[in-house]
Amino acid sequence: MHEYSIATSIVEAVLDLAKRQNSSRVVEVKMSIGKLRVLSVDQLRFSYEILSKGTILEGSRLTVQETSGWVRCPRCGYANKIETDDESFHFGIPSMICPTCGTNLSIEGGDECVITKVRMLIPTAPKQGSVD
Amino acid sequence: MKKIADVVTSSEGEVFDVELEVDILKENQRLADENKRRLNSKGVHAIDVMGSVGSGKTSLIKAMVSRLKKNARIAVIEGDVTTTIDSDLIAEEGVPTVQVNTGKECHLDANLIKKALDRMSLDTLDLIFIENVGNLICPSEFPLGSEKRLVVISVTEGPYMVVKHPMMFLGAQVVAINKVELAPAMGVDPRKLADDVAKLNPNAVTIYTSCREGTGIDDVIRSLGAGAK
Repeated sequence: MHEYSIATSIVEAVLDLAKRQNSSRVVEVKMSIGKLRVLSVDQLRFSYEILSKGTILEGSRLTVQETSGWVRCPRCGYANKIETDDESFHFGIPSMICPTCGTNLSIEGGDECVITKVRMLIPTAPKQGSVD
Repeated sequence: MKKIADVVTSSEGEVFDVELEVDILKENQRLADENKRRLNSKGVHAIDVMGSVGSGKTSLIKAMVSRLKKNARIAVIEGDVTTTIDSDLIAEEGVPTVQVNTGKECHLDANLIKKALDRMSLDTLDLIFIENVGNLICPSEFPLGSEKRLVVISVTEGPYMVVKHPMMFLGAQVVAINKVELAPAMGVDPRKLADDVAKLNPNAVTIYTSCREGTGIDDVIRSLGAGAK
């Protein structure tokens, strides 16, 4: 249940951003979360909903775009989506052995957990420059 | 009227999209990197020991401490939701321990380790074992700044521990398959568990251990590079 602590960080980050933009209400938070993160989106959304109560985030939508895991072989350069043993699993079992040369693959993507966009009510045009 | 239209026409302002890139796990990673630098600068090796509840993490750490304490200055950070049971057990070996109680959290994070390190005299240490909260899911998301990660599973947890928790094994350098003396009684083949690890993470070293019979402990120590100093 580490979704709750992740959701806490999300709410804190968005509240901080909203404050800097003088926003009075947040409508939507968009995130990109890699499939290699062990995060349940449903639980994340549930925690987000609870944590946003009583804040300017209350009633806002948390939209999550899931990204695939990508691997690269450091030896032969093979690069592809992570292949899984059995797609019938809720969470496929990644094989980290290069199918071409047998070397251990390294993860290139699909392990992110990033807020990409926040839709909010702002008195003036957003101060893009002030966002880090 | 749609809710969104209410918002757009509100006199408080207009709805804008603010594009950004806030990495939610960055803060933990930053603190983990800081812990790692701090430990490196003091020449202290730190090993994160992870595994599910009852897999034998504490027993394995205790057995390693018992073998290593003559030649190395060791301390143990014990992570648990509550109680000091594990740190009391380790303290029997006469090494300093710090108990970290997470309260409600299911994992240790880099900030908790930073606080624990603040309470330790790193100048007088060679090696720190960090026992994570018993859990095969959440701790994999929170690097602590340790040099190596040891995952402990046991045959009593059944034959599917590895395939059910793949992410935990991707970041491990050493995997101990514990309680192997009970494998026949459990009807679990430890070799199958080892095969699963090899498929997920061919770089990980897998070792069969029995803390009760004292087998495999030296191999774990060797694989972690914990003995040489």
